[in-house]
Amino acid sequence: MTGDPVRTEYQEELAKLEERALEGLDLVVSSLDRTVEAVQHQDIELAELVIADDDIIDGRYLEVHQSILTLLATQAPVATDLRLISALLHVMKNIERMGDQCVNIAKLIPMAGHDPPADERMLKNIVTMGHATRAEIRQAKRAFADRNVEMARDLVRQDDVVDNLNKECFQIALEIGDDHDRREWAMTMLLVARAIERIGDNAVDVGEQVAFVVTGLFREFEDASHPEAGIIEPQPSP
Amino acid sequence: MAPPAPSHAGELQATSTDVDRQAKRVELSDVDLYYGDFHAVQNVTMTIQPNQVTALIGSSGCGKTTVLRSINRMHELTPGASVKGEISLDGQDIYGPAVDPVQVRRLIGMVFQAPNPFPTMSIYGNVAAGLTLNRRISKPDRDAIVERSLRGAHLWDEVKDRLDKQGSGLSGGQQQRLCIARAIAVEPEVLLMDEPCSALDPVATLAVEDLIRELKNRYTIVIVTHNMQQAARASDATAFFNLEESGKPGELVEIGPTDKIFTNPDKTATEDYVSGRFG
Repeated sequence: MTGDPVRTEYQEELAKLEERALEGLDLVVSSLDRTVEAVQHQDIELAELVIADDDIIDGRYLEVHQSILTLLATQAPVATDLRLISALLHVMKNIERMGDQCVNIAKLIPMAGHDPPADERMLKNIVTMGHATRAEIRQAKRAFADRNVEMARDLVRQDDVVDNLNKECFQIALEIGDDHDRREWAMTMLLVARAIERIGDNAVDVGEQVAFVVTGLFREFEDASHPEAGIIEPQPSP
Repeated sequence: MAPPAPSHAGELQATSTDVDRQAKRVELSDVDLYYGDFHAVQNVTMTIQPNQVTALIGSSGCGKTTVLRSINRMHELTPGASVKGEISLDGQDIYGPAVDPVQVRRLIGMVFQAPNPFPTMSIYGNVAAGLTLNRRISKPDRDAIVERSLRGAHLWDEVKDRLDKQGSGLSGGQQQRLCIARAIAVEPEVLLMDEPCSALDPVATLAVEDLIRELKNRYTIVIVTHNMQQAARASDATAFFNLEESGKPGELVEIGPTDKIFTNPDKTATEDYVSGRFG
């Protein structure tokens, strides 16, 4: 029997929780932008800012985590609300990891040393990876907010671009090989590329949570241990 | 809304590995329930699986208690009340022309919301009340059944030294367990419980829920509850009833495994109800 909506305060609390959680993705974008800029320009001071400001991301993680526990204990959410809470827990972890990857990159910048960059192609790849990953994160946020599963799945295609650029960086590093002057820079940049690639993977993970909230099924979009399977379509439950 | 597809009920096959005694299946087929001309519940088709707890949930007036009372032929005790359709116990129609309703109520027992031990009878007398209705039983046999039933209701240790004392002297939770002992003393197949814990404190509630979980090893259990968390905790399957609007008959919207109903229900109305979006 339908009537006036009840539990409006609870619904508002849930909506606010989601907003605070997804804002974490904006914080990551901001951190990533500065990280990429710091890499591009060998900006050690900017790198230090990235490291210091990771506390903000960690703080958001703790705040949302506590709110989720309170909501679970006091409101006993079920069905879609419960799936949403579960998804937000995962997304917050993804956000925290992405923030940590930015810190990892920032810590590498002083070690890169070389001025100008030892290989323009590699640096260009890394900056492109950074921008592409940034776009992934923004798309993941929009997909989640709109509950748009197709938009979420599209992250796989976008992330493939980042993965391929990472592989190119690896090839370039191999070419640099034994060049004494340049190889330390190349090794360091390879770690940077790897960290950006991981940020991209985390953005895809956020997309998978979108599908879970909407369909109730958790499936990896692509299973790394079965790459031949391609993009996996979720099957309806029997 | 259309009745749910049978596949959900089909998923809920009881596994016989854990049960102490194979209980019976209850099936409702195209059941309509009336109070005089008033069409209270329409078109209910559902299977209540043996040795499982099925919870009936839904807002007030949606017909869940009416459905419950039709399963043990108590609905017809209300003047003017009637039943259409078929309700069967392991394939036997309980409304068949040759069926004795008293026998049905022995096989399908009921526990009510407010604990209702017979007020002037002793604890022993309460449990034994149904035993001697139709047959003579020796005292030793009666003693054995009373003890077995009280043990089965997790009450024996608390009352074994005062079986001759009045049932009404017990706490609320104990009284309810006494009523359960009374119901199982006559060896039913099915236990119906109409909000069995709503008059009990939280500790007594959890104790009764623990008992219900154990009882399903021997009986098929159906419980009507207003408490969503209780349905989620204590049942294997959940059936959601709803009224489209006041004055219309109640109907079954969805039935399925409890974890599915509470994590990913099929129908929007079910989702809205369990989430508390609408009263």
